[in-house]
Amino acid sequence: MKSKRSHEGYLLIDHRAGDGINSIPSAGLDQLPPVPGGSMLERSIITCSHCQAGVIVNPLRMRDRGWCPNCDHYICDSCEAVRVKTGVCRTFKQVIDEALNLAAKGLDTKGLLTNG
Amino acid sequence: MAKRIVSVTTQTPTATADTTALVDATYPFLIQGGTSTQRSNILEVYLGGQAGASSPTFMLLSRDSTIAVTNSNGTGQTDASLDAATAALAAPALTGNTNTTKPQRSATLHLLNLSFNAFGGIVRWVAAPGEEITVVGNTASLGEISLSAFTGGTAGLLGAHLIYESF
Repeated sequence: MKSKRSHEGYLLIDHRAGDGINSIPSAGLDQLPPVPGGSMLERSIITCSHCQAGVIVNPLRMRDRGWCPNCDHYICDSCEAVRVKTGVCRTFKQVIDEALNLAAKGLDTKGLLTNG
Repeated sequence: MAKRIVSVTTQTPTATADTTALVDATYPFLIQGGTSTQRSNILEVYLGGQAGASSPTFMLLSRDSTIAVTNSNGTGQTDASLDAATAALAAPALTGNTNTTKPQRSATLHLLNLSFNAFGGIVRWVAAPGEEITVVGNTASLGEISLSAFTGGTAGLLGAHLIYESF
């Protein structure tokens, strides 16, 4: 039986041997925590089931983390907002299936990622 | 199924904005499906800093909104199978950083923020089994993923690898 933690990947940022970073632009992703020189960051990172973006797990987070009960996976905050608003669970695996079906018919897959 | 590793020995990436053409050999690599229906999973990304001075380097793994055409491996870039006994695929996934039509990073489909200081820093991402990032087909925006430097900071010398498995 799978646990929620079995979905977690691994992220290492190691600055023990040099200068670090104190401020990182979010670049459309979760803001990375600062990792100053001489320190190391090891975090769980989850892959959003709906868009495949990596989301660093903040162990100090108090509010609920996005979880889709339909596909039984973690999802990112953006996809959680869409899921709550629409009630629709559209996993990335579905998107891949649709892409493969369209490609097999020689059709364009561009419209599958609506924000792409 | 064949696990492969694409790597670049040493390179100083150029910080490039989203939806801007990535110039040849100024980003570690991209991976693109070998056919319109090929699927590849990305299992691991590693970046090791080689800079001689402080170099905050904001690396992004992202889907590309414009995909590369006529793609080939650049200087110091290799793509090798992990298993010595791997049989060659009929249509392997394409990796490289040199092309005729240049790829452009999507502004909305960033997947991993792998920022680090290239002055002695290391960043490594490993997917949980079943949670890998997927490339499918060979058209935008599902069919290509690139690792490149985002604007800001002072991108420094680095080496990198990416492990993927094509189906």
